[in-house]
Amino acid sequence: MTPTIHSETEETRYGSFLDWRLFARFLSYTLPYRNWIAAALIFLPVTALLQIAQPIVIKRAVDHHLTTGAMEGFQLLLLLFVALVLSQFAIAYMQSVVNNLLGQRVVRDLRQHLFSHLLFLDAGFFNRHTSGRLTNRITSDTEAVSQMVTSGLVNLVGDLLLLLGIAISMAWLAPGLSLVTLLAMPVIIAGTIFITRKMRLVQRQGRLYLARMAGRMTEEVEGSSVLRLFACQNHRKEQFGTINRQHYDSFLTSNFLEATQFSFIDAASTITIALLFWYGASLAEQGEVTIGTIVAFIDYIRRIFFPIRDLSGKFTTMQAAMTALERIFNLLDTPAAIRDPSHNHPLPAFQGEIRFNQVDFGYGNTLVIHNLSCTIAPGEKCAIVGPTGAGKTSLVKLINRIHEPLRGQVFIDNLPVSHYPLSTLRTLVGMVQQETFLFAGTIAQNINLNENRISRETIHAAASESGALAFIERLPNGFDTLLTERGGNLSAGERQLLGITRMFAFNPAILVMDEATSSVDTISERMIQDALKKLMQNRTALIIAHRLSTVQNCDRILVLVQGRIVESGTHTQLLEKNGVYAQLYALQFQSEGNDPCNGPGKNPENLVGIGGSPCPITPKPY
Amino acid sequence: MTTNPAPAASPRGFSQNWRYRLRHVIPHLKNHRHAFVVGFLLLALTNLSAASIPYLLKLTTETVTAGAGSKEILHLTLGLILLSVVNAVLRVRARTHIFGIGRTVEYELRQRYHAHLLELDAPFFDGERTGDLVARGNNDITAIRMFVGPGFLQVCNTIMVYATTLPVMVGLDTTLTLLVLAPFPIVLGGTRLLTGRLYALSRQVADSFGHMSSFVQETITGIAVIRTHAREEDWNRQFANEANAYYQANVHHARLQSLFNPLTTLSGSIGAILLLSLGGNEVAKGHITVGDFVAFSGYLAILIMPTVGFGWILTVMQRGLASLERVGRILDATPAKAYTPEIPPLPRDPKRWLGGITIKNLHFSYDKGPEILKNISLTIPPGAFIGLVGRVGSGKSTLLNCLARLYPVPPQKIWLDDQDLTDIDETDLRRNLAMAPQESFLFATTLRENLDPGNRGMDDQTLWSALNMVALDEEVSGFPQGLDSLLGERGITLSGGQRQRVALARLLLANPTILLLDDVFSNVDAKTEETILVNLKTLAGQRTILMVCHRVAALHHADHIHLLEAGEIRDSGNHAQLMASSSLYQSLHHQMARMEALQSLALPVNTPGSTP
Repeated sequence: MTPTIHSETEETRYGSFLDWRLFARFLSYTLPYRNWIAAALIFLPVTALLQIAQPIVIKRAVDHHLTTGAMEGFQLLLLLFVALVLSQFAIAYMQSVVNNLLGQRVVRDLRQHLFSHLLFLDAGFFNRHTSGRLTNRITSDTEAVSQMVTSGLVNLVGDLLLLLGIAISMAWLAPGLSLVTLLAMPVIIAGTIFITRKMRLVQRQGRLYLARMAGRMTEEVEGSSVLRLFACQNHRKEQFGTINRQHYDSFLTSNFLEATQFSFIDAASTITIALLFWYGASLAEQGEVTIGTIVAFIDYIRRIFFPIRDLSGKFTTMQAAMTALERIFNLLDTPAAIRDPSHNHPLPAFQGEIRFNQVDFGYGNTLVIHNLSCTIAPGEKCAIVGPTGAGKTSLVKLINRIHEPLRGQVFIDNLPVSHYPLSTLRTLVGMVQQETFLFAGTIAQNINLNENRISRETIHAAASESGALAFIERLPNGFDTLLTERGGNLSAGERQLLGITRMFAFNPAILVMDEATSSVDTISERMIQDALKKLMQNRTALIIAHRLSTVQNCDRILVLVQGRIVESGTHTQLLEKNGVYAQLYALQFQSEGNDPCNGPGKNPENLVGIGGSPCPITPKPY
Repeated sequence: MTTNPAPAASPRGFSQNWRYRLRHVIPHLKNHRHAFVVGFLLLALTNLSAASIPYLLKLTTETVTAGAGSKEILHLTLGLILLSVVNAVLRVRARTHIFGIGRTVEYELRQRYHAHLLELDAPFFDGERTGDLVARGNNDITAIRMFVGPGFLQVCNTIMVYATTLPVMVGLDTTLTLLVLAPFPIVLGGTRLLTGRLYALSRQVADSFGHMSSFVQETITGIAVIRTHAREEDWNRQFANEANAYYQANVHHARLQSLFNPLTTLSGSIGAILLLSLGGNEVAKGHITVGDFVAFSGYLAILIMPTVGFGWILTVMQRGLASLERVGRILDATPAKAYTPEIPPLPRDPKRWLGGITIKNLHFSYDKGPEILKNISLTIPPGAFIGLVGRVGSGKSTLLNCLARLYPVPPQKIWLDDQDLTDIDETDLRRNLAMAPQESFLFATTLRENLDPGNRGMDDQTLWSALNMVALDEEVSGFPQGLDSLLGERGITLSGGQRQRVALARLLLANPTILLLDDVFSNVDAKTEETILVNLKTLAGQRTILMVCHRVAALHHADHIHLLEAGEIRDSGNHAQLMASSSLYQSLHHQMARMEALQSLALPVNTPGSTP
């Protein structure tokens, strides 16, 4: 009957029942809803009283009217009973609604807080954590906390209150008789808790087996070719069968325990009632106990079993919530390494000059960029060439503070980038990545990223400038075509064109790009090339270039090797210098002169075409 | 119950229709028919003993009110205790037994579903979403179990409880029975309505939870885009919408869900009220005894839960039917005739294949898509080392996919050792031909199991020698658990190059005659590639190797190279011949060489072997 959401994962473990440090911190999230909490708490004694009162009314009816036959006032008693039953219904309903809403509201806030915290964490953090785990923090862990509020904490207090109330009422009605019940109580409580705990453990194990089977099936669907190629179906079947059997065994045990618990409670209540009669009969003889009291006691005994059964479940809920809270707060306590400047600096009038001043950067212990200084003039188009691992991408990511230098500073128009508000800086500097990430949504949304200031007209104009318009118009719904996850229904070239269209739409003053490489077919390659040329106009542009034609279109070329600029200058200057760049160009020329498909020099070929790695290899003679 | 008509319902009427809808569970039900009978008997006994308890209570009450001797009461008390113990034992037996049948059917059905999934092939999986297939195997089969176990129990139980209790109640007082039971149809109808609606609402809760999760997941994957465009505020707002939609779904669900328990209690209490108001007068007038009154309230307590349960189980069974349909769709799917011998395969010579490959006029396209391979014809002699080269999208991988029979190819197109590919027995084929696909898929298990996925019990020495051939032995000996290291998220995360080499070792260990290598060195550095290539060359003569090349060195090693362009074989020959004759080959070759030259500018900073 509850929603089919399993907040339990392989990660779930059970910690302490109540950690005051975590709990106190969590309470701060519930403060805005203190009225709700007050309401939930006020209901508790009321429902308890309503439940305790019902058997007393019945007792009175039996003793004063049924056994005596005096029906005067019986109708009134009946009305009172009806009123009690109806109010219990109404209050139980309201209580449940309030608890549910309270849990969900508190957690909605917590969730939002977690999400916005996550958005501002730095790139290094995301490299260290898998997206699956982080998603669990925001969805499943918070759900476990909401369970604590909804069905754990408040009800726990309520159940305990009810049990206490019943005990008092029984003692008040017939101290001797309640003694019998109270003697039976510990046995029943201990038995129920024992069985329930065991059952939860077995069920948890069973759910893990189910999750494991799901994991295997996922893997087998994704790797179905490998299974076929290596004929491992039989082995996989056997292994799956083992887990399936374990799952079967766990739940068979759980079914047994469940039936036992149910029957134990049932039998225990019948036995208690039998004992009541036996003991009550002798008391009745002495006139200490009336038949009505015995009837009321039977009623009470039926009422105490549900709270007892639910108690141990609530402990488990609390434990799961505490573990979840610990992980949630750990995430919230991870500071964002890159933040807005602490106070406002006056922003300079925009020129577009980028300056690196003695910059060091690295990951862990390895330095990727060494003491690098260089200035890119306003409006200059500057290409960066160099082997994989030379630090090209790291270098450009220092400009819009995706990374922070270890030493030295980066300036835009003589103001350190760390003094710009982050959103200003990142609007100023546009970045095209090697592969364009697309979100599930329409083409238009993927171009303006939901920025309302970028109108449909602007999107259209941007697409027309980038050349993406042609393929967008061929799609069934044009700009409103829905893209599947990660734009799976577009080719690599089309995705890249959309990335460039995004740039035309956002129109940044400074352009930083990591040029697309191998995964693009010949036709798209030329379109992308044309689009990039247009995009660079009237901007300061820094391009990690893989194609010679891009390089030749630039005002200056920086050759980066092992985090150092080893050569810098125009195409002609560098050729004259006869260094690293000249060698590369020689290879290029030889190839392009002979290219039969595209004619000499027409098709810009890849400088770095087919992904690779830093390693010394002397090209073979040919 | 019939809200989801079977898609291919037989025209021959109601029972045929049901037989069709239940076609995948009926065999299981038939297998367990004896178990069902036993379960039914156990349940009958349980109910009989349960119905006796209120009757005994009535006797006791009457004895107490009559003020009879304590001896009689003691006997009755002992009788009650005995009866309740017997009832408890019977109930546990009955429930465990019947739920056990459901669990067994669940187990069998899941085994069957899983086995069927393993039989299905690439063209089928191309059209399905992984998550959906897994959900069918898990949640839907669980829903079918509810249909079989708890469904059977609840239906039988309800019928029996009424059958045993009603006569006794009627025997006590007919009018009172009718009046007291008057609200029960409402309870039943109400439960049915409520549970149906609740399931729909919890579906919505689960759906919006799913949306929220995938939104978060996507945000994390695309965080770089959000950051570089400073769109954090907007994403925060979008998340607020998602979280709010989830909250709203929960509110709707909670409003109804909260009714459930109080309503159950209330319907029990209404019986008590009716009993008090009607029965009270009867007792007072002396028409019935106080004992009858107590018994009546006991019977009411017995009847109310099965009635509520019956309403609930109708909904569960309806869901079970829907799930059965979803699972049935997969169980009915058949592999796309990749392997359909017209005649049963001949008993083959147990000796190994020679490894010759012939392809004649092969055209191929994926599921009505554009033609990827156009009129491919080639002959590869046994033991040759063949290179395939071409641009992205030229059809190299597709050609290997066809050769490996991952996708169906018409007969009379491909022959392996003069045997038509479509006629070769599956086991025979897999023993003699294996492929390392482009994305080196590894299982999240130990390295050992990845190297020997079919569990053929290879010894450590064999495994190490294969690791040595792919130049991975040194790195593996550095792993804390060596061959038994766990791979994947909860174990060692391998780099792309390491994954490729594990996949290659797996291929070598399968020891096939024909090896298809699809770009298996793209993340391996050139020096290591060279080492591995030299090792592979030692297999030459005994093994046919067909390899998609992306580096110069591999091309130099190949005996013969086929150059693909737009799905056709443009040129063929060895390296020297192609350099002399094919301008496209020259261009591709230079492109590769240039790239490698650029790499050589860097000094070796990584440990030899791989790049992440």
